Amino acid sequence: MIGIRLEGITKYYNGELIINNLNLTIEEGKFFALLGPSGCGKTTILRMIAGFENVDAGKIYLGDEDITHVPAYGRPIKTVFQNYALFPHMNVFDNVAYGLRIKKMSADMIEQKVLRILKAVDLEAQVNKYIQQLSGGQQQRVALARAIINEPDVLLLDEPLAALDLNLRERMLLELIDLQEKFKTTFIYVTHDQAEALTVADRMAIMNYDGEIEQVGTPKEIYEFPASSFVAQFVGSTNSIKGYISIPQNEQAVLNVAALGEIVITLPKEKRWARDGNHAVLSLRPEKIEISKKPLEGFANHFTGVVESIVYQGRWTQYKVRLKNDMRLQVFEQNEEHFPQEEIDYYDEVHLYWQKENAVLLEK
Amino acid sequence: MQLFNTLKKQASFIAAVPALIWQILFLYVPLLFLLSASFFKRWPVFNVYDLTFTNIAAVITTAHFKIIGWSLIQAMTIATACLLVGYPVAYFFAVKMRRWKNFFLFFLMLPFWTNFLVQAYAWFFVLERNGLLNRFLLSLGIIREPLQILYSPFAVILVMFYCYLPFMILPLYGVLEKFDLRLIEASLDLGATSSKTFFKITLPLTMSGIRNGFLLVMVPAFGEYAIPAIMGGGRYLYVGSLISNYFLESRDPAVGSSFTTVSGCVILFIVLIISRVMASPKQIQKQER
Repeated sequence: MIGIRLEGITKYYNGELIINNLNLTIEEGKFFALLGPSGCGKTTILRMIAGFENVDAGKIYLGDEDITHVPAYGRPIKTVFQNYALFPHMNVFDNVAYGLRIKKMSADMIEQKVLRILKAVDLEAQVNKYIQQLSGGQQQRVALARAIINEPDVLLLDEPLAALDLNLRERMLLELIDLQEKFKTTFIYVTHDQAEALTVADRMAIMNYDGEIEQVGTPKEIYEFPASSFVAQFVGSTNSIKGYISIPQNEQAVLNVAALGEIVITLPKEKRWARDGNHAVLSLRPEKIEISKKPLEGFANHFTGVVESIVYQGRWTQYKVRLKNDMRLQVFEQNEEHFPQEEIDYYDEVHLYWQKENAVLLEK
Repeated sequence: MQLFNTLKKQASFIAAVPALIWQILFLYVPLLFLLSASFFKRWPVFNVYDLTFTNIAAVITTAHFKIIGWSLIQAMTIATACLLVGYPVAYFFAVKMRRWKNFFLFFLMLPFWTNFLVQAYAWFFVLERNGLLNRFLLSLGIIREPLQILYSPFAVILVMFYCYLPFMILPLYGVLEKFDLRLIEASLDLGATSSKTFFKITLPLTMSGIRNGFLLVMVPAFGEYAIPAIMGGGRYLYVGSLISNYFLESRDPAVGSSFTTVSGCVILFIVLIISRVMASPKQIQKQER
């Protein structure tokens, strides 16, 4: 249970700078997710922590120990690879026992440990099977067992569920959370899937296309209070509304939007750019908007528009509403009733409402 | 119509027929002649059929087995040398330098554009008394008298090593190129050093290429005729040269056939042993099939 600290990590790939002076602290015993679009360098960071890639500048600390130049085989860090990288010429037992045999543990001890861990991941019946005889989910669990049996200080997971189908993926996510709670190992989970990251992580970091970290925080902080419009758009869906800030005396601060009017906003505290006359972007999550054909009371913001598209998604219905300035707002409404009192249809005129606290003002 | 359908289904078989006929006519039938010549008294096979073991008995002598043994040792030496040199080369280009693989394959295939005999004769001019090598060493002052390299077993082995090396590298390159490099990373990750990883992961998983390369070099090297004839100057007897002697010089097809049969059985036996020793891990064999 030791954390990882990256200090000023810089990495070139074929002469191209992909990670520049990156700093990141991952606390011990946490389920940490590293979320970013494909090709942002998140896997490279993982590979540097594992020791498969050298860093061009900066230091990697495991606890207080500088492991920057420790070879991969000498690091108490284990990896679950994207396509598992299980050894095809060994059966399940030998795969899982591999690390212990390298350590020259006694055969009795190895057998005991392997059987115990296989029981923990529900693979007792598959002990003698070869990798090719296992399903994707089973292979995934062998990969987990093979890594975790070595009691690593840190477990790295590189998009470990990418190859599984949706149902299995959801189940494995929950199993991963259980496993992390059981072993209390620091998990670092790399993914481009924001839903996965939100589900598993205690804390998460969001990386942008330039290999920079935009925000670190709990899933709730990230989702509800994104620090940048990149984060707001990458994690979940959002409506980005551009305008400029005006702060009249003794009155509510508003965002002036061209051809639409004023939106009442809450100003972020201690932000230098949040001043009168500056341009800004309002991030408004689709589910924070109330949609109705009849007028409602008690909301700070009220706009009207015309329904342009309706997508029924079971749990949700997704509307796209065109406002009078031709801006389209996405709205999610939960389908709470079998027989809704009012049925919204295409080209209906609707009212949209939201509270000012439910939208986040971001620097342009 | 039905016939047409049957034919359509058998299209791949029909396409293989010319090659099959060719193989039967020019490989299996001659092989039958050879066997019959070894086991029957009179040469044209279709006249007299007296079964006899005298021909076979005549070749089962210490002298003959010395030649078979020496050819075998030499073939093994060449195959082993090709493996030891070829594996690192194939590994380097298939694993470390995948970007340069086309370049590498081009240069690997280049010798194949030249006739085998031309390659052997090129070496003749390098190794002869007034050849390139001797002149080079003399000019550097390393030697005072030209070395007698040509017409020695060393020259035979050296040139066969050179000519057969690509046959070792190609199958090795084939398996190494398909080899999943993440398995190496997984092994390092689990605490194994590079050398342990090589012996526990890379080697077992590339065993099929090692075996194929080894057999591709060893079997032809065992019966090689041209290179020993040119580089050895006919001074040393190998299986290939002895067979040709019996047929062409002493005109004794009965003994020649018998010797061919016996040495053929020996090499078949050796191939079986090598296939067993260099077998891939069990689970991999299933995939290879």
